[in-house]
Amino acid sequence: MREFIQLVVIGISTGSAFALVGIGMVLIHRTSGIVNFAQGVFAVLGGLLMVSFVDDMPTGLAGLISVLIVAVIGAAMGFIAVGIRGRTTPLASLIITLGLALVASSLELLKFGDRPHTYEAISEHAWNIQGVVVQPQYALVVGVTVAVALLLTLALRRTIVGHALVACADSARAAELVGLNVRTVAMIAFAVSAGLSALGGLLLTPVVPVNYDSDVAIAVNAFAAAAFGGLGSIGLALVGGLVLGISEQLVVGYIDPQYNLAIALVIMLVLIGWRSRHEVAT
Amino acid sequence: MRTAANLGATLAAGAVAVYLPFTLDPGNLALYTLMGLSAIVAIGLSLLMGFAGQISLGQGAFYALGAYVVGILATPPDLFPKGRGLDPLLALGAAPLACALVGAVVGVPLLRLRGHYLAFATLALHLIMLALVFTWESWTGGQIGLIGIPPLEVAGHEITGERHAAVVWTIAVVTLLIALSLVASRAGRALRAIASSEASAAAAGINVASYKLRLFVLSAGLAGLAGGLYAYLLQYLSPDAFPLIVSITFVVMVAVGGMGSLYGAVLGAIAITWLQDRLQHLGTRQELLGFDLPVQAPQVFSIGVFGAILIVVMLFFPRGLLPGLQELGRRARRPAPASSS
Repeated sequence: MREFIQLVVIGISTGSAFALVGIGMVLIHRTSGIVNFAQGVFAVLGGLLMVSFVDDMPTGLAGLISVLIVAVIGAAMGFIAVGIRGRTTPLASLIITLGLALVASSLELLKFGDRPHTYEAISEHAWNIQGVVVQPQYALVVGVTVAVALLLTLALRRTIVGHALVACADSARAAELVGLNVRTVAMIAFAVSAGLSALGGLLLTPVVPVNYDSDVAIAVNAFAAAAFGGLGSIGLALVGGLVLGISEQLVVGYIDPQYNLAIALVIMLVLIGWRSRHEVAT
Repeated sequence: MRTAANLGATLAAGAVAVYLPFTLDPGNLALYTLMGLSAIVAIGLSLLMGFAGQISLGQGAFYALGAYVVGILATPPDLFPKGRGLDPLLALGAAPLACALVGAVVGVPLLRLRGHYLAFATLALHLIMLALVFTWESWTGGQIGLIGIPPLEVAGHEITGERHAAVVWTIAVVTLLIALSLVASRAGRALRAIASSEASAAAAGINVASYKLRLFVLSAGLAGLAGGLYAYLLQYLSPDAFPLIVSITFVVMVAVGGMGSLYGAVLGAIAITWLQDRLQHLGTRQELLGFDLPVQAPQVFSIGVFGAILIVVMLFFPRGLLPGLQELGRRARRPAPASSS
């Protein structure tokens, strides 16, 4: 039982990080219709930049700078991924983001080399609650994720920028008619989404070291989390991330660490099989 | 008249492609064989991307599965404990069947949905395939690898070297001809209807989901067949032969050759396989234009260049590079386009 609870605790924290990246995917998909394959790159970049800054400045500042840099990179990727008006289909946009992810990986490989990177957690002192070890870093990841999910939901409902993002999702044509620039709005969505994923990535780096090619597994997991809500709901992406994180840790603990991604696929297949009876094929 | 001329030209080019290995320098033979294998995979993927509007980022997983099916079935038990020592031709036949089966299981729930579900699921499939190869050591040899695969053998004749290359290209040409006749058939008209508008195709009574599934199963089977032939080329399998970039490289071939264009798929396969070989050479050099190259240079080059190709092609030639260039050429020859069409 103790081992079970321990695995669930770890699963909740890794799942929160998946959720944070998945929420970023939902945000981009809702505003631009693009499924962003490069979402994992944002998390990896966040972690790698954090590792390179953290020794020279206070941890909080290093985190802030990393998130901002990745947000700017995200906006640039958004500009490219939207493509050319009237010619670039959603599938073409997906392939463009795949290309962006590849180019980013190759640059990361050049700069950071082919080995995992990590930095020290906020505190080496772990809490021991009746034999279950809880690292403060885990609590931090979970807290930040829940706060972000709440803030983002509120921001989309209450602020002008939020309304603009939602309007573009409803109908790009209608949004243009009232004077919104669809590309600008998509770039804002990409920037916010990239910042969130970078935050998820850099928070998880002390417990799960990050390498230049970690982005693919992160993207698959985040997509599975986001697919929980059909890529449309922030709340369901959070739930999806947690379910995924916990089940993967249980597989790691009781079966074999190599199979954790298989769980993501199986959950995705079952869930999608169930959803596809409700959703009309398009 | 025109189709007859096309068929004649295709057959002539195919005959040259099959004969070419016997005149090639032995050093280029493996590269030439790889081009043929890639062409087989690319034809299937091009059908899927062009007509079903779906993208598979996991053709490399089927390629690997086909190779390991051949490895396990054909290797004699005294060389590899789990080997079955079956007739090599029989083992080769099992490879596409196994892949088609896996494709059907994965495809049924996914193909009813929008393209990105299949893209991510097939990507996950490739990662899972690699994890399975690593963990099922007794069946796959794990990291050490599966050693002792015999050469392909037909009626007592060993098929190696230039003969193997010729067999691979024969299969590639046959695949091309079958795919061409498929596109020209009644099923092909249904596929073209689906490609131009799924809603109107469905309204005309075409079962869109079933056609998409059949295309995916076909593309998986072709990748498995190519993978099986690849096992006979290498005669040794390890997970290092099937990194994720393999799956992405097939997508690059189709993006260059044109989605749904079958001749384009073959040309794209040849061009990208050649480019990959060149990049590999470039990356293993000590220095380039005065810069010292890092150890990772070969990977950096191929990942970065393929990524850049995908971005540029999808932005400016969404139907593919070759069809896009053809279009440009046609426009250049007719400088004043008619305003009505």
